[in-house]
Amino acid sequence: MSAAESQVKEAAVRRRVRNGALGLAALALAFYFGFIVLLVHHSHH
Amino acid sequence: MANAYGDTAHHDHHHDDHHDQPATGIKRWLFATNHKDIGTMYLVFSLIMFFIGGAMAMVIRAELFQPGLQLVDPVFFNQMTTNHALIMIFGAVMPAFVGLANWMIPLQIGAPDMALPRMNNFSFWILPFAFTLLLSTLFVPGGMVAGGWTLYPPLSLQTGDSFPMLIFAIHMMGISSIMGAINVIVTIMNMRAPGMNLLKMPLFAWSWLITAYLLIAVMPVLAGAVTMLLTDHFFKTSFFNAAGGGDPVMFEHIFWFFGHPEVYIMVLPAFGIISEILPTFSRKPLFGATSMIYAIASIAFLSFIVWGHHMFVDGMPLAAQLFYMMATMLIAVPTGVKVFNWTATMWRGSLSFEPPMLFAIAFLFLFSIGGFSGLMLAIVPVDFQYNQTYFVVAHFHYVLVPGAIFGIMAGVYYWLPKWTGHMYSMGLAKTHFWLSAIFVNVLFFPQHFLGLAGMPRRIPDYAVQFTDWNMVSSIGGFAFGLSQILFAIVIVQSIRGGKQATAQVWEGTHPTGLEWTLSSPPPYHSFTTAPQIP
Repeated sequence: MSAAESQVKEAAVRRRVRNGALGLAALALAFYFGFIVLLVHHSHH
Repeated sequence: MANAYGDTAHHDHHHDDHHDQPATGIKRWLFATNHKDIGTMYLVFSLIMFFIGGAMAMVIRAELFQPGLQLVDPVFFNQMTTNHALIMIFGAVMPAFVGLANWMIPLQIGAPDMALPRMNNFSFWILPFAFTLLLSTLFVPGGMVAGGWTLYPPLSLQTGDSFPMLIFAIHMMGISSIMGAINVIVTIMNMRAPGMNLLKMPLFAWSWLITAYLLIAVMPVLAGAVTMLLTDHFFKTSFFNAAGGGDPVMFEHIFWFFGHPEVYIMVLPAFGIISEILPTFSRKPLFGATSMIYAIASIAFLSFIVWGHHMFVDGMPLAAQLFYMMATMLIAVPTGVKVFNWTATMWRGSLSFEPPMLFAIAFLFLFSIGGFSGLMLAIVPVDFQYNQTYFVVAHFHYVLVPGAIFGIMAGVYYWLPKWTGHMYSMGLAKTHFWLSAIFVNVLFFPQHFLGLAGMPRRIPDYAVQFTDWNMVSSIGGFAFGLSQILFAIVIVQSIRGGKQATAQVWEGTHPTGLEWTLSSPPPYHSFTTAPQIP
């Protein structure tokens, strides 16, 4: 086992980890752009 | 049979112990993917930032030792207050908790590492660049950002060359925190040892799970706000510029929508640590463990709906004032549950007073003082009087120093023998505790009196009637700052050697976390075979 490898070997767990991480990252990006869009909208009204 | 880690049952720890040794030299740290190495780097980084931020605090207290201007010019003073806050919040407290999370969450839940080790490396190594950038603003024309850590426009928009550097640094800190939070959540949700359901999970891991969700919800909001400040400054937008039709008060709303949960981001993991330590040194299980989880979750939820209490003096409708006041006071209910449970844990316990327990008890008393002054500030007409005074400074320092930082110190003293394999000097650690506990009160308690008497915050000079308590506060500050050198000495001594620590480390360890089933120090790659939880 290389030190740089993920220690999760089972495909199903790896998939859950990847999907979880991508989902949370998408949530964070949604908050970031969401607030900017909200203020752009606010500044036009 | 293969388990969730892809290992087979006949593997054992000894197989991996000699197979995977850490890399040698600088490569071990630059390319680190091991949660213990990354945890260590976070903790060392936060200690360095603690001393840099502390040095800035010494400048502030030296200038305030007596009225008049004697050491620094007012602009530099404001640079110190602003950057002291930024460094302590984003450089010292938050990375310290991420370091503790990196070290302890995999060990507590029986995971071999964090779920995303390479991202873990990246989220740490962003930080030195971010803070080098932030600190280098000291040398640009105009100096460091000086408008307060809240970066309120229009004042912050008048900052010189340091402004875009600060904004970039904040973005990097935010990205680092979000990546760290994602890692914590996916690790806890996917890597727990078989049989460890969420209600069996140690309170420290629970507190971090909730904190990680808070981070993901609010760090992007801060990033969005400062991005808009940047476009206001350089691209002629008018999000917060009243002259262009923008609304500077909107920035305050967005900032505090981030800022108030941020306060809980800095203290919820400390709640988790205290909930681990008190049972150990009371030799009793934690009283009401499930209610503790609900209390932490309730505090986290409420933290999203109270931001307006930072802005009472801006002017807002009476209904909004009442809502924010009552919602803020409501936080006292789950906090009261926690304090009651901690007290009940100690009740009729067989108490002993090793350094982690001393810091935990000091946390309990002194954090409660910060909580009570917070309740006072939640009352709208009272806040009208206290706003922008030293009373506020006293309040949040009681929450953050004997709250968050004592929580970190309690955690370090609790787990240090587990990390290094050596017991540290109890005498030195207790001396550190007593000096810290006494001088933190000498430093911050008089600031309540100064605030109630009307001394404004963020000023380098003051009226002569405030002199005596400022002198007392400054003496407390210098003594508290010097006492922290002992903390570094104890840590270095423990790394270099000392009496061998057992696996259990503390006699009264109540085994909720799996870290106590491993040797001290644990193997470089631990739990490569998942432990079974009964």
